[in-house]
Amino acid sequence: MSWSHVLELIQSILITQTGIPNLAVNQVIMILIGLFFLYLAIAKEYEPLLLVPIGFGIFIVNFPLTPLMGFTEHGNPELIRVFYKYGVEWEVIPCVIFLGLGAMTDFGPLIANPKTLIIGAGAQLGVFVTYLGVLFFGFTLKEAASVGIIGGADGPTTIYLTAKLAPHLLGANALAAYSYMAMVPLIQPPIMRLMTTPEQRRIRMRQLRYVSQLEKLLFPLIGCALIVLLIPAVAPLMGMFMFGNLMRECGVVKRLSDTAQNALMNIVTIFLGLSVGATMQADVFLTWKPLLIFAFGLVDFVICTFGGILTVHIMNMFLKDKINPLIGSAGVSAVPMAARVAHAEGLKADPDNWLIMHAMSPNLAGVIGSAAAAGMFIAMFQ
Amino acid sequence: MTSKYKKIFSAAWMMGALLGCLLCPGTLRTGHAAFGEDIEKPKPEFTREGDRVTARYIPRAKSTSVQVHFTVSGGKLIDVRGLDFYLADRPEVDVKNFKSALFTVEIGDVSPGGEAVVTISSDFFTSSTQYYVFNEKLASPWMVSECENISLPNRVQDLVIKVKDGGPYDSDGKADGRIFFVGGPRDSFWGYALGTLFIRFFGIFLVLTILQVCMQLSGRIFQKMDAKKSQKSMQSKSGPSESAPIPQAIGSDDESQTLDAGSVAAVSAALHLYFSGSQAPERMNINASESTGWLQHGRQMAMGAHPLNARRSR
Repeated sequence: MSWSHVLELIQSILITQTGIPNLAVNQVIMILIGLFFLYLAIAKEYEPLLLVPIGFGIFIVNFPLTPLMGFTEHGNPELIRVFYKYGVEWEVIPCVIFLGLGAMTDFGPLIANPKTLIIGAGAQLGVFVTYLGVLFFGFTLKEAASVGIIGGADGPTTIYLTAKLAPHLLGANALAAYSYMAMVPLIQPPIMRLMTTPEQRRIRMRQLRYVSQLEKLLFPLIGCALIVLLIPAVAPLMGMFMFGNLMRECGVVKRLSDTAQNALMNIVTIFLGLSVGATMQADVFLTWKPLLIFAFGLVDFVICTFGGILTVHIMNMFLKDKINPLIGSAGVSAVPMAARVAHAEGLKADPDNWLIMHAMSPNLAGVIGSAAAAGMFIAMFQ
Repeated sequence: MTSKYKKIFSAAWMMGALLGCLLCPGTLRTGHAAFGEDIEKPKPEFTREGDRVTARYIPRAKSTSVQVHFTVSGGKLIDVRGLDFYLADRPEVDVKNFKSALFTVEIGDVSPGGEAVVTISSDFFTSSTQYYVFNEKLASPWMVSECENISLPNRVQDLVIKVKDGGPYDSDGKADGRIFFVGGPRDSFWGYALGTLFIRFFGIFLVLTILQVCMQLSGRIFQKMDAKKSQKSMQSKSGPSESAPIPQAIGSDDESQTLDAGSVAAVSAALHLYFSGSQAPERMNINASESTGWLQHGRQMAMGAHPLNARRSR
């Protein structure tokens, strides 16, 4: 064997079997984006449970020649493609996450104050305004719906709807949704202050009534039946959500409830994050669309917050017991961050005004509202 | 909010606004071409059953497939084919309005210069669906056809169009007994987008309002049930002689407003005595093991200094 043959062999190995000569500039950019989100998650603790796996997914999948998101010669999916195919493409993981969320949720504040459901509906304003806005930028109707739902501030709903309507936008939409959810404490307070007077921020609300265990137990059954009857398309999400809540409230399947809240939720979160991150490959992601999605996602959040507070102002015109308009901002789901932000702003105006339980109520209404909006969009395209 | 966060937030705002301003003028009319590939392009598949040809495809803005049936009277339906929109693309038409594909309908056995009637039916059409015809040999190639839109049972709409051999709808332009009829069903994209936007936004209000009303009703029932239960348990504990009426609606505004202040005070005092009686504090055990030596000594000294104890010691 001559030296030229050895050199040719080395060259062949370098080109076909190592990543270095195949590394393109756009892949380097995506790796840096992945590292940036890892930094946000680890150093700044912005939604770390989701952004760590998403960031790592972006990071790992953009190295050249990695057998992660493609198919083998025999047509079998590669590692992360398996997670994506069976978890996201088959719409399993978002529903399982809703099961866990249901098991974690105490609907007591919402049952005690059902008026706040209207706030949850009003806070979907941004979803529809953004839907219309992105249509002007050449997005298709399905893409527009999937971008609009970002403002609902509900990660699993965003992923579920996007996977169904515009899977090519999954990475950008999920990333925008989780990033802005993490930034709720930064985004919402200026809008809250802009839309309320100091007197309105000091409004004290009547203490919530006691909710019996039987009432809490029956809520998932009654609520699920009503919502699914009205919007059948939302049954996978709402059904799982209410099933999780039923397991929690019935009290006889504590082990199942505990598994749904903890182990199962954590497992699917890992697979979801990695799969979503891995969809952000350089050739798909580095276009104008993701940039527009990030811009509109922010606008969406702002309008949703605005819509929630505006709804409270309108409701207060007709109510004897006034609602503190700060809790309107919690109508975007982002549980429980949005409720905490409303509470913190309320304390700034009046240090003795505890709004947290009152704010949890529209916060939960927001979860139902955003799922209903998703159901409406799904039904629209059927 | 710290000044650091303020800066981040204002920077994000400015970036968003800047991006919006930069992109807005250039992209308002870019349509699907703005992002390259037409990802929603319908790809019809045709099947034939006797004299009827059926096209099956997923239209724009739909996730499920639809069927469109073609039949012809006054001639023989030879074939129906799909036509790529870019071949007929003109500035005066927008592809987004054509949710279905474009079709070329080939008709034979027409008497030269005669007329054939094309019937296109589907439950995907609405009463406002129009049929646009394309003939590139004309000065203005796109035109709205004079089409009769007939509503049938099961939400099926029939579009019935008369096509003259060699007339404006015949693409070959010759009165030769063969007709090439090119066109497609058209629905207003923006009309649909805006209409559905309002319907669905208010739909969410409707759904959540229904849920709210049901929750309020069931809440009242539960409150009454709880009040009755607590009343019963209080009656059974206090005995039949003390069966004074207790306000039923704990947490109900309307009824509590009818009580006078004296009754409220009496009920409050009774409740307080009842509950405080059942929760008597534990007796203090001065010899409890958790007490420190210093505390024990203090307590014994205090007890020893009591005048009664002093007398006993004597």
